[in-house]
Amino acid sequence: MTEELSKALQNKLLEVNIEGKILNLVPLTGGASKEIWKFEVQTNHETNEYILRKGSGIEGPLAIKTSDEALLQQEVRKIKAPVPEIVAVSSLEEALGDSYIMKFVEGESIPRKVLRDAEFKDALPLLAFQCGEAIAKIHEVDVSKLDYLQEKTPIDQLNDLYATYESFNQPSPVFEYTYLWLKDQDFGDTQSSLVHGDFRLGNIIVSKLGLESIIDWELAHIGNPLQDLGWICGNSWRFGQNEKVVGGFGDLEDLLKGYNSISQFKVNEHLVRTWQVFGTFRWGVICLIQASAHLNGSVNSVEKAAIGRRVSETELDIADLLFLGGK
Amino acid sequence: MIFDKPTSVDLLAAINHFLDTKIKPEVPPHLAFKLRIVENVLNIVIREIEKGDELSNEVINLLQSLMESDTPSVETLALLIKEEKIDLEDQDLKDLLVTLSKNKIAVDNPNYSTFKKLIK
Repeated sequence: MTEELSKALQNKLLEVNIEGKILNLVPLTGGASKEIWKFEVQTNHETNEYILRKGSGIEGPLAIKTSDEALLQQEVRKIKAPVPEIVAVSSLEEALGDSYIMKFVEGESIPRKVLRDAEFKDALPLLAFQCGEAIAKIHEVDVSKLDYLQEKTPIDQLNDLYATYESFNQPSPVFEYTYLWLKDQDFGDTQSSLVHGDFRLGNIIVSKLGLESIIDWELAHIGNPLQDLGWICGNSWRFGQNEKVVGGFGDLEDLLKGYNSISQFKVNEHLVRTWQVFGTFRWGVICLIQASAHLNGSVNSVEKAAIGRRVSETELDIADLLFLGGK
Repeated sequence: MIFDKPTSVDLLAAINHFLDTKIKPEVPPHLAFKLRIVENVLNIVIREIEKGDELSNEVINLLQSLMESDTPSVETLALLIKEEKIDLEDQDLKDLLVTLSKNKIAVDNPNYSTFKKLIK
């Protein structure tokens, strides 16, 4: 299988005038839904490192095509937000499938390594501010060029999430309560913007200097940009570092300082909290979606089966936020 | 139960031990990551067998007093909330939702940070 993939990579790269030998093709630990491969290309003069990101051609209800992720990253790169450089894009019909090749960015994406390894000790205190800045930049992308992305208001999105939850026929008193609570909230009167949709450790590359690159754009859409701020504050993305509200590494104050240093729309903590509850509910529904792919027989995956038992994490987080003064 | 020892929990624990000590050192990193998920799943099943009844019964008893029903269930409570046939500001309801969530996570992932924080 690796040989076949290697051949397909070589042919794809030839289209963009990169001719060389494919070496050290290895799968990386990636998300649950996409394959990630690292490899090197040895040309006459040099050896360069690349990443292949490959979808199955079957997207979940919230995800975009992998080839559209590539288009989006190219657009985001134009405004000098940190994203890896795209080298080649392949559509589903081609040998390489729905995928793209990007330049390898030096650094770490595995959350627990970023949070624990000594190498990143000096980067962590800077990271919340840097993430705030980067999120604000993403929100400045010209959305008129992104016609392959869906646009949704917070209420549309909330209703879609609720309908998805309902379709699985596993009634949850906490989610019912959350839905009613969220329907009553003010989400902030912002302009429609590009929303990354999954901005957190795991989907950013961190070096000892801090934020290097933003990856994994499969949940991108157009909508209320504050969603990205609430999302990274969810406890699901603190990786055990409960007391560090922003991604397990930073404080909300720093995230907002970074964001408000660039954004026209100034955000306060209360709005982020509302979006944090929204984000936690959204993650709960995404867990349900992932588990359903196993339960309905479309894939047989212990990973996807296991994620069904992570829904309860989001229920507990919401109960903590709404009833017990959790942050 | 009519079955001999080892119990189902003993059997699952033996599999887990085998995976952890004999298989994990032999597999490449991306499979080691999946193996950790497999071990976590086995631990969920072990905890559910050991504590599932007790954790469920505690919630069922709370549901019974809250809903004053002979056949209380999580599903019925979800429906009551959905149709707003219950006072959403009722402290007993809020307490029940907290207990329900805690008891589920006690099986699914007792190492979860919010759970550890709340049972301190």
